[in-house]
Amino acid sequence: MKQNKSTVIKNRWYYIVGFIAAIAILALIEKNMRGFYLGIFLLFGINAIICLGVTITNGYANIFSLGFGGIMLFSAYVSSLFTLPIQYKASFLKLPEWLEAAQLPFALALFLGAIAAVLASITLVLPAFRLRGHYFILASIGINIVMANLAVNLRSFTHGPLGIRNMPFATNVWWVYGILFLTVIFMWRFTHSKFGRAVITLGKDQTLASTMGIDVVRYKIFAFITGSFIVGLAGPLWVHYTGAMHPEVFGLVFVFQIIAMLVIGGIGTISGAILGAGIITMFTHLARPIQEGFKIFSLQVPPLIGLIQVLMAIMIFLVLMYKPEGLLGKNEITGQILPKLWLRLKEKEN
Amino acid sequence: MLFYLLQQLINAISYGSILGLLAVGYTMIYGILGLINFAHGEIFMIGAFSCYLFVKFLNLPWFTAALLAIASSVVSGIALERIAYRPCIRRGGSVLTIFIISFAASMFLRYLFMMFFTDERRAFPIPAFFEKMYFIGGIVIGLRDIIIFITTVIIMLLISYFIKYSKLGIAMRAVSYDKRTANFMGINSTLIIKIAFVIGSILAGISGIEYGLSFGIVNPSMGFNPGLTGFIAAVLGGIGNVPGAMIAGFIVGIGEVLFVAILPSIYSPLRPLFVWILLFFILFLKPTGLFRPNVKFDGGWEE
Repeated sequence: MKQNKSTVIKNRWYYIVGFIAAIAILALIEKNMRGFYLGIFLLFGINAIICLGVTITNGYANIFSLGFGGIMLFSAYVSSLFTLPIQYKASFLKLPEWLEAAQLPFALALFLGAIAAVLASITLVLPAFRLRGHYFILASIGINIVMANLAVNLRSFTHGPLGIRNMPFATNVWWVYGILFLTVIFMWRFTHSKFGRAVITLGKDQTLASTMGIDVVRYKIFAFITGSFIVGLAGPLWVHYTGAMHPEVFGLVFVFQIIAMLVIGGIGTISGAILGAGIITMFTHLARPIQEGFKIFSLQVPPLIGLIQVLMAIMIFLVLMYKPEGLLGKNEITGQILPKLWLRLKEKEN
Repeated sequence: MLFYLLQQLINAISYGSILGLLAVGYTMIYGILGLINFAHGEIFMIGAFSCYLFVKFLNLPWFTAALLAIASSVVSGIALERIAYRPCIRRGGSVLTIFIISFAASMFLRYLFMMFFTDERRAFPIPAFFEKMYFIGGIVIGLRDIIIFITTVIIMLLISYFIKYSKLGIAMRAVSYDKRTANFMGINSTLIIKIAFVIGSILAGISGIEYGLSFGIVNPSMGFNPGLTGFIAAVLGGIGNVPGAMIAGFIVGIGEVLFVAILPSIYSPLRPLFVWILLFFILFLKPTGLFRPNVKFDGGWEE
């Protein structure tokens, strides 16, 4: 098929109709979906946001950090301290006066959580930027461990290893998919902006980037802040959906799951991150009943806790071995996919 | 107070030996392949856990079980190299790809064991022979601590000798210093990599059994913390430098235990933080480690 200008639809009505259709679908889902399926749908959205945030650091800027678990943990704790009901907070936490009296709407708490994530990531990662390669990965694993350890030990703020229960449920379809939509738009503009192009260049080749006059450290920090902000939005969303949190929610298993999403979808593209989030979220929810044991013809299959991680490791291995770029490779699926498909069909008919 | 510190020091020595043995495995594989073998902690776990399994389910005598456990960790190390790393390296995977694969391999092994045996803590079988205690001037010294220390020292001397003087050891150092030139000189680097994995796995298996002996507990996720701490010890000892890794293992182990012993007891849950604080200091002040590294140091990889 020959590529020409006509395949790119510039008509803004196309996008407006698409946007309205998406909102209608979301409204339908919000109205009709309950329980298990709604859970999958929301978690898919949250995972997609996390993956997009991690894509900026690990994909575009090529700073392979595993520290996002700790950063999310921090943002989740900060936001939950502002949304918990005041009497409930006073009953089991020993907070300073002003924090105990603080009660903010979810939107503000979410924003504060993201800001906290940015601050935490700056303080933790700036020293680590002197490192490269394996040493940086190691230091970033350290961020997770340090954060989880602090959460266990700062009992007056976090209730220690017992965690916080009965959190107010604030996350719904609109929050998750609104933020996801904004994140996708932001990422799309980011990859086409001066900042974004500089970040992508330095991710491909640092030496080249610095000879082109790109201030490598500055842009790395910028990329890291952006990524942490997005990841920091996802942390509060997650805990206000599950309603409970403890220091190990965003531990190594979680980090591994996100890495699996990125690897399977393809590190470095928006659509790859979303596709990977979809596949792994579906997979974990479908495999969970198998993992917990089931009955076939009155034959009790014993629970196999850990089956999900084992299968995920095999999936990562196979993808890295046979398609190291990820399932989508470096291709980006854009809004143009429908018109393109339609044109292709029409050409076939002719 | 002095007695207390001395007592802690004696407890720390067996922990230090465990870390030292682990660090040697890391340093060899990092030196030769340029990769953090993230699954090394899991090979350590397999050593301890399979010893437990052999004693518990097959009723083997303890020493036979320990030998078989070391053999099984060697088998898993070789399998890891053969199935996971070698095909990936042959396909020209980047260092990052290999790291992700080693991360996945680590999760795979850990959760495979968790799947079959669940993650509950089990009592490691300790033969009655090891339970003996000596009381010297108010300080308790367990026979097992002495045995662990002596075994470790003997193994370390053997490994140092092997690395320094034997033909294979010299070839290994050559490969870790510069793989391509070593290949030109007629060294079969594939074989050397395999041998590094075998030695590393033997040491990890021994260290796992020592861990079981000294802490008395095994479970499938036991390998994570000692694994990372062992790698930090390897960095401290100058990556690629085998005797350095051993000494650094002792330094980190003793430092960690004394860190908890000296601070007031409310801070003792902060124990896992010690190694990370230490790592930050090392990487800031002297990123090449305390001893001369045996690799061309480039601060990781450059891509």
